[in-house]
Amino acid sequence: MSLFSFCKAMAEWTADYMLIPVFNFQAGLFPPFSNPAGDIADWLETDGGLNTLAWLFAVNIAFAIGMTNLIIVIHLERKIAARIQDRRGPMLSLRSFRELGEDLAGNSPSWRFKQNYAGIGILQNMADGIKAITKELIIPAKADKFLFTMGPIIFISSSVFLLVLFPLSDRFAASSAPAGLMVIMAAFSIAPIGVLTSGWASNNKYSMIGGMRSAAQLMSYEIPLLLSMAGVFLLAGSFDPVTIVEQQQQSTWFFGLPMWNFIPQFIGFIVFMICILAEVERVPFDLPEAEAELVEGWTTEYSGIRYMLFLAAEYIRGFAGAAVCTILFLGGWAGPWPVPPEVWFLLKVYLILIFWIFIRWTVPRIRTDQILELGWKKLLPLSLINILIVIFMVEIYPYLSDTLTLLPEVF
Amino acid sequence: MAEMWISMGPQHPMTHGLWTLKVKVDGETIVDADPELGYLHRSVEKMGERRKYFMNTTLTDRLCYASSTTWTHCYALSVEELMEVEVPQRAQYIRTIMLELQRLASHLMWAGAYMPDLGHITGALYFWRDRELFLNLLEAPSGSRLLYNYIRIGGVKRDLPDGFEQKTERILKLFEQRLDEYADLFENSKIFRMRTEDVGKFTAAQAQNLGITGPNLRGCGTKFDLREHDTYEIYDEIDWDIQTREAGPGYSDCFSRYMVRIDEMRESIKIIRECFKKMPAGPTMASKIPVRATGEAFRRTEDSRGEALMYVVGDGSDRPYRWKIKSPMFTTISACPHYLKGYKVADIPAIMGSIDICIGETDK
Amino acid sequence: MEIKAFMKEVSSVKGVTKVGLVRNNVVKCNLDKEGSKDFFVKLKDDFGFEHCSLITAIDNQPQFELVYHFSAINGSVFVKDSSAAVMAEIHIFLDRDTPTVESISDLWFGANWHEREAFDLMGIYFIGHPDLRRVLLPEGFAGHPLRKDYVYEIHEEEW
Repeated sequence: MSLFSFCKAMAEWTADYMLIPVFNFQAGLFPPFSNPAGDIADWLETDGGLNTLAWLFAVNIAFAIGMTNLIIVIHLERKIAARIQDRRGPMLSLRSFRELGEDLAGNSPSWRFKQNYAGIGILQNMADGIKAITKELIIPAKADKFLFTMGPIIFISSSVFLLVLFPLSDRFAASSAPAGLMVIMAAFSIAPIGVLTSGWASNNKYSMIGGMRSAAQLMSYEIPLLLSMAGVFLLAGSFDPVTIVEQQQQSTWFFGLPMWNFIPQFIGFIVFMICILAEVERVPFDLPEAEAELVEGWTTEYSGIRYMLFLAAEYIRGFAGAAVCTILFLGGWAGPWPVPPEVWFLLKVYLILIFWIFIRWTVPRIRTDQILELGWKKLLPLSLINILIVIFMVEIYPYLSDTLTLLPEVF
Repeated sequence: MAEMWISMGPQHPMTHGLWTLKVKVDGETIVDADPELGYLHRSVEKMGERRKYFMNTTLTDRLCYASSTTWTHCYALSVEELMEVEVPQRAQYIRTIMLELQRLASHLMWAGAYMPDLGHITGALYFWRDRELFLNLLEAPSGSRLLYNYIRIGGVKRDLPDGFEQKTERILKLFEQRLDEYADLFENSKIFRMRTEDVGKFTAAQAQNLGITGPNLRGCGTKFDLREHDTYEIYDEIDWDIQTREAGPGYSDCFSRYMVRIDEMRESIKIIRECFKKMPAGPTMASKIPVRATGEAFRRTEDSRGEALMYVVGDGSDRPYRWKIKSPMFTTISACPHYLKGYKVADIPAIMGSIDICIGETDK
Repeated sequence: MEIKAFMKEVSSVKGVTKVGLVRNNVVKCNLDKEGSKDFFVKLKDDFGFEHCSLITAIDNQPQFELVYHFSAINGSVFVKDSSAAVMAEIHIFLDRDTPTVESISDLWFGANWHEREAFDLMGIYFIGHPDLRRVLLPEGFAGHPLRKDYVYEIHEEEW
């Protein structure tokens, strides 16, 4: 049963038993000409209405799953970073509430320190969220107020949009667009507009330099990124994630092992990994928000929930980037039987994310000119070489091998 | 993009203290720079004129919060020169050990502060974790972790505690292992070298004229270390070498300055071990220390950051008539337009971090 | 050049008096204010003192005293059988009414901020200095606090 058919059943149930009776009841109460309730009830009975409701459910489920993953990713980042740096990381857990309660009541903590702070620290995210919401939203006096508020909206909405675009498996997908990956990349490339807007609107020199850097970086890395993806598209003959994963499953290697795309297209895989790292602005490519020289780059003037949503959006983009990488190169949701495909998919995504976290806490940041040089002079030629290899594999090699097998018969 | 001035500081992650660096940028390239000081000026020299000679060691401790013992030592040396006090042999050895421990702690503080400048926060935590070890060692004889007030005029406050040598040896051994570990993380790392090599270059001749001394000068390959060239305490009795590096013929970059400090840390370990080997028994304080002094005297020492010089004038009373502090960073910061021009905005923290700024001593 | 020969050469220069040794590697001399620049040029170019360590201004009441410390890093002047680097300590005395002296910041850039500091805290004017502003105290501060006759006043304005 796919996610959509599940949602369709749910939509039918809610429409029949909850929504249509309510709307019909309302239609009876109010004057008919100004009241749309009856029309809505009629529309909900049609196929279009049910489908819309089903999509609404599906999107919400995908969004909830994505947001849950976001919390886990942030928590993982903190804990792994702490372990790399020889410390413990956040330890706040439900037990810490006891001390909080005692503190509020004016008593000294009756538990010992060790017991209060012995959790895994997942509550730290809650604490951060509460803190961010309660902070004041400061708009600088000389900022362009309209664009200053529009920038975060563009950036964050385009990032959250990503959550519903990638499928967790062939049955668990909120979106089943045939050009699914193209839509994901299009959603990825909206972000520079938001970054540039908020960097410029802040009326701060650090923000402006950060925004400029970000735009330059994202634009110059989009090209090798898409070119490295082109190899996979050529091999699968489709932009559809489901088709791409199926193609990876079908092509086999030694002992009948599936040949996932990172084996034949190793160059493309490397280029894609570097480019997507730059695309989601993580260390070593996080120079738009280089805190050493630009304070916080284009997010310098933002505060409170806006700033927190910027951070969250960056993690969402990281998660989406890892998901795209998994679909394209690591065989997507394919894996041995007893584990469900959705879990396989998430496992692979988290593997990539953990790899990125390790990179983030072990290398310094590189410079603007170096990043552009790397993008244009090294990654672009490499991605072109990758396409040439794929073209040879797809078009020329079968033809050549056919010719070679035919040769003895000709002579 | 048109040229514009960017003001970095007084509160900015790059500054490591309170100062302002105004840079004029053309796009991302630095065209001009103008450093500004004075945010941390506490008028130490004026205060010192109202306090007795022995009271001033508390002030000199507060000159540099990362390397306080070396400054107190410089003051003690120059006042001893003024008062013609003979420091006992054992006190000299203890002083040398404390100075080298302080140098290690200071260089670790610098290395830890330098890594976030390059975007490498793990490095900061690693180096500061090791700094704790040396703070523990400095705490053992002096009783405090930041401002020791251990070196006094005429000797040191008290003798080393029992078991100090064994504890030091244990920590030095651990730290040596860790330095080898860090080599993979930092100096062998491709991205670290990309950020630091060929950045912030100046030649040895330039550096001498600009007033740059200490590790930054030794990073140009100039063999000049006041521990040998204007020797004090017992540095002439023990066996050690001046550490130099150069990025190319006669010039330094951020990487060579980083490497000089790493090498110096290894050399300090060697000096401490030698000191423990040769340390004699005896008193740790001169038997007779005069209160009043006449005349003028100066001594210069190799501070963790360069040439520290204190010039003391006495008029026969128990307070210094004039007391002048030369801070190595004062001139090094003043020269920053010379070595910032032509580099990118992203290089500013890499360059200004690599010269090891301490604003406490600079602003006095 | 051996330090003894250096002392002999220095004492032959016009305006230099009281040449002596402070320690085995520190030469001390007094210098007249007039023509001091010529001596500093000679010190840098002929004797090879590349590094200006410190400029100290002392309020000797009534006159001011400037103490320059230069060091020879590359060993152009040396002490026999010793690794010690030679320093030159030069005293210039200034009248209280005309605390001016020629700037040496074009010879040694390292002297630039030392001169600014001496101007800031002691009120010595360095003629020919490219940028004689206050360095440690804020612009608009009244008086020069390291002078012995400085009286502290409470300033109303904030910096």
